[in-house]
Amino acid sequence: MSNPLKDMDKPDTIFAIGTNMTECHPVAATGLKKALTKGAKLVVADPRKTRLAELAHLHLPIRVGSDVALLLAMAHVIVREGLTDQEFIADRCAEYEAFENHLKEFTPDWASGICEVPAADIEQAALWYGKAKLGAIYYTLGITEHICGVDNVQSLCNLALLTGNLGKEGTGINPMRGQNNIQGAGDCGAVPANYPGFQPVVNPEFHKKFKEAYQQPDLDPGNPMTKVTALNLCGQEENGIHAMIIDGENTLVTDPDKNHCEKALKALDHLVVIDIFLTETAQMADVVLPASAWGETDGVQANTERRVQRLRAAVPSHGESKPDWWIISGIAKELGIPGFEFESAKDVFNELCSLSPIYKGLNWDNIGDGNYQWPVPEEGHPGTPILHQDEFKDGKPGLFKIIGYRDPAEVIDDDYPVWLTTGRRLQAYHTRTQTGRASGIDYLLAEETLEIHPDDLGDWDIADGSTVKMASRRGEIELKVEATTRSPRGTVFTSFSFAKTNVNILTGSGYDPVTQTAELKVCPVRIKPV
Amino acid sequence: MINDPNSAIAADLSITIDGQSTTFSEGETIYEISKRLQRDIPTLCYDDRLDAFGGCRLCVVEVEGIRNPVASCTTKASDGMVVKTAPPKIEKMRKTLLEMVASENRQVDVDPLRGLASQELSTLVNKYGARSGRFAGAKSGTTNLQDANPFILRDYEQCISCYRCVRVCAEQEGDYAITVANRGFDTQITTEFNNDLRDSDCTFCGQCVQTCPTGALADKKALRSEELPEEIKKTRTVCPYCAVGCSIDLMTKGDKIVGAQPAMEGPANKGALCIKGQFTYDFIQHEDRLKKPLIKQADGSFKEVEWDEALKAAAKGFADARAKYGRHSIYGIASGRAPHEAAYSMQKFIRAGFGTHHIDNCSRA
Amino acid sequence: MADATNEELIGQWKNQPAPLLPLLHAFHDRDGYLSDDALRAVSDGLKTPLADLYGTVTFYHHFSRTPGGLDAPRVCTGNICCMRGGNEILETLKAQGKAAAEMPCSGRCDEPVPVLTGHTTLAGTSADNLKPTPSPLPAPYPGVNEECLFSNIRKEGHNTLEGYQANGGFSALTKTLSSATPEGVIETITASKLAGRGGAGFPTGIKWNAVAECDRHPKSIVCNADEGEPGCFKDRTLMDYDPYALIEGMIIAGFATGAPRGFIYLRYEYPETNALLERCLAEVLEAGLLGNNIQDSGFTFHLYVRRGAGAYICGEEGSLLNSLEGKHPFPRNKPPFPVTHGFEDKPTAVNNVETLCAVPHIINRGADWYQSLGLGEHAGTKLISLSGDIKRPGNYEIPIGLPLKTLLYDWAGGPLEGRSVQAVTMAGLSGGFLGHQILDDLTLDDPCIRSHGSFLGAGGIMVFDDTRDMVKAAHDAMAFFAHESCGKCFPCRIGTQRLTERLNSESDNLSHEAWTEEVNDIGEAMKATSACGLGMAAPNVTDSLQKYFPDQVEASTNN
Repeated sequence: MSNPLKDMDKPDTIFAIGTNMTECHPVAATGLKKALTKGAKLVVADPRKTRLAELAHLHLPIRVGSDVALLLAMAHVIVREGLTDQEFIADRCAEYEAFENHLKEFTPDWASGICEVPAADIEQAALWYGKAKLGAIYYTLGITEHICGVDNVQSLCNLALLTGNLGKEGTGINPMRGQNNIQGAGDCGAVPANYPGFQPVVNPEFHKKFKEAYQQPDLDPGNPMTKVTALNLCGQEENGIHAMIIDGENTLVTDPDKNHCEKALKALDHLVVIDIFLTETAQMADVVLPASAWGETDGVQANTERRVQRLRAAVPSHGESKPDWWIISGIAKELGIPGFEFESAKDVFNELCSLSPIYKGLNWDNIGDGNYQWPVPEEGHPGTPILHQDEFKDGKPGLFKIIGYRDPAEVIDDDYPVWLTTGRRLQAYHTRTQTGRASGIDYLLAEETLEIHPDDLGDWDIADGSTVKMASRRGEIELKVEATTRSPRGTVFTSFSFAKTNVNILTGSGYDPVTQTAELKVCPVRIKPV
Repeated sequence: MINDPNSAIAADLSITIDGQSTTFSEGETIYEISKRLQRDIPTLCYDDRLDAFGGCRLCVVEVEGIRNPVASCTTKASDGMVVKTAPPKIEKMRKTLLEMVASENRQVDVDPLRGLASQELSTLVNKYGARSGRFAGAKSGTTNLQDANPFILRDYEQCISCYRCVRVCAEQEGDYAITVANRGFDTQITTEFNNDLRDSDCTFCGQCVQTCPTGALADKKALRSEELPEEIKKTRTVCPYCAVGCSIDLMTKGDKIVGAQPAMEGPANKGALCIKGQFTYDFIQHEDRLKKPLIKQADGSFKEVEWDEALKAAAKGFADARAKYGRHSIYGIASGRAPHEAAYSMQKFIRAGFGTHHIDNCSRA
Repeated sequence: MADATNEELIGQWKNQPAPLLPLLHAFHDRDGYLSDDALRAVSDGLKTPLADLYGTVTFYHHFSRTPGGLDAPRVCTGNICCMRGGNEILETLKAQGKAAAEMPCSGRCDEPVPVLTGHTTLAGTSADNLKPTPSPLPAPYPGVNEECLFSNIRKEGHNTLEGYQANGGFSALTKTLSSATPEGVIETITASKLAGRGGAGFPTGIKWNAVAECDRHPKSIVCNADEGEPGCFKDRTLMDYDPYALIEGMIIAGFATGAPRGFIYLRYEYPETNALLERCLAEVLEAGLLGNNIQDSGFTFHLYVRRGAGAYICGEEGSLLNSLEGKHPFPRNKPPFPVTHGFEDKPTAVNNVETLCAVPHIINRGADWYQSLGLGEHAGTKLISLSGDIKRPGNYEIPIGLPLKTLLYDWAGGPLEGRSVQAVTMAGLSGGFLGHQILDDLTLDDPCIRSHGSFLGAGGIMVFDDTRDMVKAAHDAMAFFAHESCGKCFPCRIGTQRLTERLNSESDNLSHEAWTEEVNDIGEAMKATSACGLGMAAPNVTDSLQKYFPDQVEASTNN
């Protein structure tokens, strides 16, 4: 997030796109609700009529995967109506003229044909955001889990740059990160292209720094490989992946195209899984190592606003389970890898801080109250609640990106005539390895359903509450249907929380070429009564 | 704040509270300033995250020049005000009010497991010696035991109609699931049409439970451990679910986790939680937890082994792969759910151990 | 609109100002009660949370949630009606199999007992002679001074536009719009010393000036016609027989303060008045005296009637404004006051019916004239609703400062034959009782009445003769306050309940000493700490009971 959570009640205009915030980030959503009671305008773009959409002054139920078209048309209106922040553009941006030219043809009428919402509504959304004194954008995986995820994000950036809604309290581009420490995983360098602290691996300076710090003379000067690529290479003779270690992820259920994923893991010579339960993924492992759970281990995590906070153990570890860092260090030591003589989580964290410029001012002892949002470049620095305040994080001007609309990887046709989009529910977390084991949750959410518009049910001759077979090009599952106007006509929804109705057997039609994020939000399917 | 336009003005506004002079900023209430001066003004309807309500009237103070006492929570300070927070006359009325409140409830002492604020009434009643049994009469509120939800006990016989629950649901959560029905002594907290919470807009965030000053709304899950003899211990940590990073206090009795409460000082949540943070902690001590390392046998079954053996087996697989296919045959996936130390160790394991960038996390899922 | 669909009703009201109450009434009238389905539709239509709406609906006495509720007879069991057989009528109707229910004082103490059925007020002395009855007109003026508010009220046809205009009606408006400035109007009203006649007595000119000086728009004029105080029925008479004076006064108030809109918040129990006001507004609008650009003056004023639903607390201005806005009708914390943060948080003048009705007279005849109507140092007149054990109950317009004796004996004929006055109430019930011991020297003005620990308030005076059990009278009064306590603040919510219990001699077993201590401790806390006037005033009942009738108290607590 470019802006802190406490800013969420400050905007006068909120544009929320691809975020089911009241279910997925309920506490953050309370900030937006407070902004509404203070009189803020809310525009929600989401195919589904989520709770947030119900609260909106304007809901744009755009067709799944049509975000870029919407955002281009909004930019078109903002430019046409002279609602751009020319001073901001002149001072802080580059390549505006080319972008302005590019926008000319993308009228609301053009977008209306793609997004399947009225041009007048697109116009209205653009006017509200364009006229905002403090306009803030919020998005989640509804923006990124597309083959055009990067295009979507950049289109949102274009809007913010056009209107100068960046670097100020109550504005910004604010992705809501999904998992508790997904931000932290990136911060720590658990990404292929960056060392800890987002220091690119291809940069010779950082390469040298880590070659020395990690005492690894053979450290690759490049060649980052994503998980998606790795799974494609599993078991392959030439340049294949043959041994894998997975920590705390139920890859088999969360990842798209389950069959492909299962095949990949089976093809490995060696799979080590660290987890707290014997998940579907752990069951495929050669060695399963029991980790201490949350509440049993000390540590650090970073939230979606880059706030670095302490986790503390309240009870002893269950059985003989151990902290993840201890387990990984144990394997490393067995292999003779130097630098794993950690005695505590504190040792590990302090090493991270010493190697990461954005954590340089942090240490185990000063983060106790969670007062810091990185970057914290030196000790005594107060942290950085708002990014891009006077200049962009990287010190370069904000570039307008020329982006065009692309269809999703698969579009509906005669064989697969219905759009499926997937997501999450309030009472379940991911694959329910945790929430599913909390007593009482079944009272509220005992099984997964497929949400279908009541009129579609009628047209398709399917009874509410009956079981259907839903198939995509990759597989087929059975689940119960629920009639609801939350789904627009022609688009159905389900979550991936229940292994029994694993919708990720169907997904996986394509990946963003830059980030290799899967298009989990769009999948043409066909639905038949059982 | 670098340029606070009010700071210059603020220095000019002053108020005297119990003989102590202090400056304040425009808009501050007498209660807020008094609290800053560590004056212990009693209240039962106040929650600093909510709009001041002025219902319990315990926080009334004497202001020079004003005939009647004023509610300090709703009265904004004005320049030159002279306030007494606890003259004997006011203290006597506070005691009377507490005796009145105590007279409408069946039970003043409740288990602290009921909720974060559940001891507020009994604490004040004790402090003011208000267990007099005076003002006996009809009791207010009807407990709803029909609501079978497993999370929130609706024990309205202990309700004192401070409406913190209704206000937190509306102002803090924006859910508007519960309401004040009827009026006066017949006031009853309920949902629309007196339905169960499950059939209302309730999201079971538990905020109503945690702000309730009498335990009338109580944490049913935590109360399952009411009989455990150990003291309640609280450990401050951060919620393990989404990336908002809500601060949370895990409650334990001995080695058992018995509940969770939101941390009011939590920088990301300021006391807010959702159903997951509030009520789904019990996976930790679930019987399905892995207790020992496992190694897969030839027949596909797992065998429990000691750590030493498991670590050796884990390491050997990587050594073998490196020997057979080269170091580029190894891949590590870190968790977006585990702490920094896990992710950092994992990427270091891959980079330092094999010299590759074959490391990723689950954010692409 | 008997056959209107949910959508039609919502469509009719959704974009009107202050739409919740009229929309709920529309459903209530259509269905005879408020069904779950109706509440869902309203919640959806007005985007108001359903639980909130449910809570708010259950707050009001007269919104029925059971089929047939609208037409069920509701019998007044206020203090006076209890003395006149209200309970017996209720029991008889129940025995006849009717779903009869009680209602708090409904403002017909001059001609008891009223029974509200649907939108009709029946009245009678027993269940057999109930019939639709228009509210009584004031008796011919018995005084020697000049009347102001009632000067035209007895004239035939004065409550028609034609009649009103024939008696000089709307000349004040015409004069104002053609030749006055807002500042000039405020100056005149200030100079007249007109003060709030709803009871608070705040100078009207100062209030208007505060609204006029605020630069936040749109402003509003709100007429407090929620005449809920037991024993008060003067506003009913003004509205029934001089409705155009109220309308004219409000338009002038709008002009003076710069408010383009006004609301008459009318209590539920005056259904005939509601219909009359609606008709009058339509006529005045048609005549070009209301609406856009009135008489080509460039001044625009829109006026709406909003009907309450049965809640005494809505006579408290903060509650009234919340009710008007469709919120839960709890009182608001003050400051800020309505003059700066009133209806929809914008500057608002909340004035009583009587206050606003005086305005055209003052404009026509001048500030000095109005001021001179009072006796001695007192300015102007006050309407008194006199009821109870007195020969000629009714509304009287007195010069402020009139001796109570004159009103009771010379004007109203004194107590019934062979009886003597034991006590009177002041301010309806809120001022508690004044005992016979002090009545001879009492003058009807606030300085005098306040010196006895009471106040004139809205001007309701109930008379209790020497046959009455004053503890019972106090109990009934306190039971009313308990019934009407909104439940926002602890001292009032619990205190009115506990005091009622302690005044119920059958259920109370405290020693006299303990009784006194408990009652006085509760009273003291209520007076000092209650959030609004209801809780502050209720202990006047127990205080004055003990002050003037210690023997009766002792007798009741010792049995």
